[in-house]
Amino acid sequence: MATLTMQDVTKQFGRKVIAVKEFNLEVQDQEFLVLLGPSGCGKTTAMRMVAGLEEVTNGRILIGDRDVTDLPPRNRNVSMIFQNYAVWPHMTVFDNIGFALKLKKMPKDEIEKTVKEVAGMTNIDMLLERYPSQLSGGQQQRVAVARAIAVYPEIFLMDEPLSNLDAKLRVSMRTELKAIHDKTEATTVFVTHDQSEAMSMADRIVIMKDGEVIQVGSPDDVYHRSASIFVADFIGTPPTNFLEVDVKSENGDYRLVNPHVDFKPESHISESLRDYDKKNLILGIRPENIVLTNQKDAVLSAECLVSEPQGSHQVVAIQLDQQYIKVIASAQPKINPGETVHLAFKQDTLRLFDPETTLAIGD
Amino acid sequence: MAVAIGNKSFRNVWSKAIPYLLILPVVVYYALFWVRPVLKTVFESFRDTAGQFTLQNYAMVFSDPDFIPAVRNTAIIVVFSVTLEFLAALFLAILINRKFVGSSFFLFVAMVPMALPAVAVGAMWLTGLTAHGWLNSLLFYLGVSKKIYWLAGSEWALLAIIIIIDAWQVIPSVMIILLAGLQNIPVEAEEAGYVFGGNFITVLRKITIPMLQSTIQTAVILRLISAIQIWLIMVLLMGFNRLPVLVERIVYYHEEVPGLDISFQMASGYTIIVSVIVSIAALLYLKVSGAFGGNQEARQ
Amino acid sequence: MIKKKPTSLAKIIKSTIFYLFVTTLGVGILLPAFFLVSLSFLSTREAYQFPLPLLPALSAKYSLTFGDRGYLLSVYDDFDDEYQTVLDTAELEKMSVYMRSQIGAPYDIPDIEDRIAELESGTDPVYFKARKNLLLNYDLFFKVTRDAVPALIRSLQIAGMTIVISLSIGGMAGYAFARYVFIGRDALKFSVLFVRMFPGVAIALPMVIILANMGFYDQPIGLSLVYSVGSIALTVWITASIFMGIPESLEEAAQVFGATKFQAFLKITFPLALPGLAAAAMYAFLGAWNETVSAIILTQFNPTFAVVVYQTLLGAVGHVNLAAAGGLAMAIPSVIFTFFIRRYINQMWGGVTV
Repeated sequence: MATLTMQDVTKQFGRKVIAVKEFNLEVQDQEFLVLLGPSGCGKTTAMRMVAGLEEVTNGRILIGDRDVTDLPPRNRNVSMIFQNYAVWPHMTVFDNIGFALKLKKMPKDEIEKTVKEVAGMTNIDMLLERYPSQLSGGQQQRVAVARAIAVYPEIFLMDEPLSNLDAKLRVSMRTELKAIHDKTEATTVFVTHDQSEAMSMADRIVIMKDGEVIQVGSPDDVYHRSASIFVADFIGTPPTNFLEVDVKSENGDYRLVNPHVDFKPESHISESLRDYDKKNLILGIRPENIVLTNQKDAVLSAECLVSEPQGSHQVVAIQLDQQYIKVIASAQPKINPGETVHLAFKQDTLRLFDPETTLAIGD
Repeated sequence: MAVAIGNKSFRNVWSKAIPYLLILPVVVYYALFWVRPVLKTVFESFRDTAGQFTLQNYAMVFSDPDFIPAVRNTAIIVVFSVTLEFLAALFLAILINRKFVGSSFFLFVAMVPMALPAVAVGAMWLTGLTAHGWLNSLLFYLGVSKKIYWLAGSEWALLAIIIIIDAWQVIPSVMIILLAGLQNIPVEAEEAGYVFGGNFITVLRKITIPMLQSTIQTAVILRLISAIQIWLIMVLLMGFNRLPVLVERIVYYHEEVPGLDISFQMASGYTIIVSVIVSIAALLYLKVSGAFGGNQEARQ
Repeated sequence: MIKKKPTSLAKIIKSTIFYLFVTTLGVGILLPAFFLVSLSFLSTREAYQFPLPLLPALSAKYSLTFGDRGYLLSVYDDFDDEYQTVLDTAELEKMSVYMRSQIGAPYDIPDIEDRIAELESGTDPVYFKARKNLLLNYDLFFKVTRDAVPALIRSLQIAGMTIVISLSIGGMAGYAFARYVFIGRDALKFSVLFVRMFPGVAIALPMVIILANMGFYDQPIGLSLVYSVGSIALTVWITASIFMGIPESLEEAAQVFGATKFQAFLKITFPLALPGLAAAAMYAFLGAWNETVSAIILTQFNPTFAVVVYQTLLGAVGHVNLAAAGGLAMAIPSVIFTFFIRRYINQMWGGVTV
């Protein structure tokens, strides 16, 4: 087991394309770290550099105290689960799992013992003699996992391993992968573009965009204390609602004003509004933090456009100018389109963003 | 540290060089055995025996009494056989376009004529077209007792025979290609045509054939290229000189009149003419197939 | 229910017509091939009958009686349904040779003597049967045709060398195309496609001198060097598509799990590519085996099998059945290999994209 350190790692393709830019990261021993971002954000490239499958243009990668930057993949003591599983079709399950061990010249009986052990952990011990073509997608996935565990790596890399599974299997595999991580205690880097996957599995999440790290933090951090508009928008379903507001001062009090709302935020925010007097800000609030209330306490009143029942709750959408605001409300009473709803904000959850830098203010 | 850096740059250079090392043999091979001979032919064609620049060689080819007939015959064969083969193959492909029991066997059978070596095809028709051959025998069994002297007809009759033989050899294959193309067209595209009021003919004309366009272009141009090079069947059936075509002239001058000083020049001259024509067709094909258009499938 | 019946009848008629049509087409395609096969098994006597028998006889029925010059040998003719006299001789040797080579149904001299004894003892005429030697034409073709066997060996050598050259050189480039982005990729792809269509005869002629200078003229290696030009182009195309079909991540996984780049290729990609590589090899074989023009130009005393068959056909007026046997011997490997690579041939012809 080991830590993983990436120092100023940059990857450039050709002359122009910078896939990863000055990437700095420290992954703790036994941590389950998720690299999260939209496709093309450089998360997979970053992971492939850790594996040694992509050369590093600049910077250092250390596993424990070892500088592995220039080592070929086989000497890094990492293992990897690939997005398409990359299970070798011409080898049996047993040979797939035992491949690395055989290359290490491990004695035969020991290979057999290890393979059986990891196959047991992943529930494929009945399939060892089969070929991948005789397995379902989920079973192939397990073979890939077993193969990766069998080498007892220092770093465990997972490149969107669940994205090819159907929705139901994906959720159950999440639990299993997490359980396996707890058992093996291997430092894990997990790449995904699925924010709910990231939220449910990660000890820490690294959110990337355009090759750069936007925010690093626990799932709670990135959800509740999103560092930028991008993060607030990317994390959560439905995503954060955004409202453009002007800051107005009125006898020392600051108010947030736009054609639809005009309210005085709680004091903890007021502090940070001082620098933005008479300026423009973006207000971010998550759908579950908008509450239905009576007319008197309402910050915002509007007509319901549609309401989407979800069983446990309903998502109420209202339209303000060109923009939709979504609200998560309890399932009862049911709100019908056309009905006027009165809304209030949970003040302590408000996030304010600078429209120029898109970064959150007041942290 | 210095060692590490040295290592890194070595690894870097090495992995960058891999693709070039992999293609180096092809490049060298083509330089030696393709570019060199081609350039040599072109170069030699402008030199006389003393090594001076001359256009004499071409003049000689153009004044060969069989030159015009050879060009004409080749052109006739190319135009007629490609057109006939294409239309017949398209017709058959549309008729057969569905899955059926034994379809894979049928498709293999259809591939056989094209796969046969030219000499085997020659043997087939040589034994068929003689007066006592199997074709007359077959006709006899079918009730036509008069022997037909297939190979004694006019030049036009001979051309027709060549075109028919070529059609036998090629139609099945072109049909397979078009079938494959037809089966690649999503069913929904045609169904949509019917849903929006098209009948069989309009759907065929407005949807199926346009969607088949690239397959058709490939098939036609590749066929064109091989039709230009037909020769062996004629020589086997009719001997040299009877129905001259371009490639037949090359072999004729090289093999049949090797004693003459000029035979190599004549053969080379015809070679260049064939090469130029085929190259134009090939370039046309590459243009149509989009080979000029960058690498669409480059690694991500 | 009632309404359904007529439609299903129409369906049956429709599908019957369809199958009749497809069968007719298949028969039409195979007809010349059928006659070539049949002809290659006919005896010389059968081959010069008109009409030609549709199928070779499996045995010959002979009859023997007294003749002017000795004994009268007759052979039963299926078509005319009668015995036809073919020989009148007292020389048993001549009779036996005739039976072996012309009728193709050999009968030994001692056996003939036995039949004559029967005849002398009063049975007149004597009827007897002999089994036909169906492979006689093939036997004769290889014995009679000067050079057929060495030419066959040469052709196999040439095909073998062409496979080795084009698979090694073309396979490497195919791998480069499938896995790497490099400068000149488009140019090379273009030239490979172009060379594939370039007429082989255009290279053959100047190669006469080039090969002569190398000492390879009229040698198998010389021809395989020429054939490899076209066949490398094909191999690049085929292998590139094979390697593209093998996900790179399989190799990467092997590297992560302890293999070097080369090991990863050898243990993962290569075994997976084998069937495709075999197809490429068969393609190269077909190209070398079927080719005639370059072989005519580039050989003199050491022709290839195709050239030998070609020459036999040119002078075949007297031996149609032998010519058929030669042509068929040529065709058999082609048909077999085509069967194995039919999938690739289809791809090849329908929209080619490397």
